[in-house]
Amino acid sequence: MELPENIHREESADKLLIQTPGHGSYLAYIRAIVGDLARKIGFDEGEAAKIEMAVDEACSNVVRHAYSPDKEWCWQQRDPEIRLDIRVEGNLLIIEINDHGQRFDFANYRPARMEDHLREMKPGGYGILIMRNFMDEVQYSSNDQTGNTLRMVKYLKKS
Amino acid sequence: MRDFRIDQESRDSVQLIRLSGSLDMYSFPRLESELNALFQQGRYSLVLDCRDLDYIGSAGLGALIGFAKRAREHKGDLCLLNVPERIYKIIELLGFTKVLQVHQTEDEAVASFQAK
Repeated sequence: MELPENIHREESADKLLIQTPGHGSYLAYIRAIVGDLARKIGFDEGEAAKIEMAVDEACSNVVRHAYSPDKEWCWQQRDPEIRLDIRVEGNLLIIEINDHGQRFDFANYRPARMEDHLREMKPGGYGILIMRNFMDEVQYSSNDQTGNTLRMVKYLKKS
Repeated sequence: MRDFRIDQESRDSVQLIRLSGSLDMYSFPRLESELNALFQQGRYSLVLDCRDLDYIGSAGLGALIGFAKRAREHKGDLCLLNVPERIYKIIELLGFTKVLQVHQTEDEAVASFQAK
């Protein structure tokens, strides 16, 4: 797959770094790169699709909320950017998604249960539920130096 | 990587909307504006043909549910047709297939509105 010039990609044996502008037009490239990597390291098609979707939800939230033009960001003098650090440690796939946009109060966010959301036919609010459903660990941290980082882990189960 | 594309045709009172490419938070506003336009014309019986769809994210799924809810309030519905297996497994796992009707053939999808 040919990548646009403004996507930076660095790959070594067990690490992958992707940097893209923080814009929705790059989401399809991010999904394709992450999905390929997940399959390459041994996840089956179903699990790779879940990882792809979880990462897409996380990056969509960055574009839509962290870099929302109507919000104040701490780092507003910089161009919006999404950085993904992906590495394999033993049987863990670790994906860290970093931005320098608006912070999110992840710790106090209590989404409704998926079943309740669906029963009420809610039109939105599924992103974090999907990440938590499809990944084994999801954590969020934020600080003035490094920005906001969403860390997601998926266990590679040996068959 | 295919560009997102929307093609429409009418079959009696049912609007068939064929989607191709990826329906994510970037492409969804295009579909949203077409669905809003159909609602403004009073067309509430919608079939989304997903045969050539590569991906659907939560922005798209959530909004489709919102449109289905609005359509049902007007005695219509929004249903899915020809959902690729890879996408079907994901939306089934998440529970979206309990809320959105999914059909295998165009005739079956169109007939589901005539039965209402």
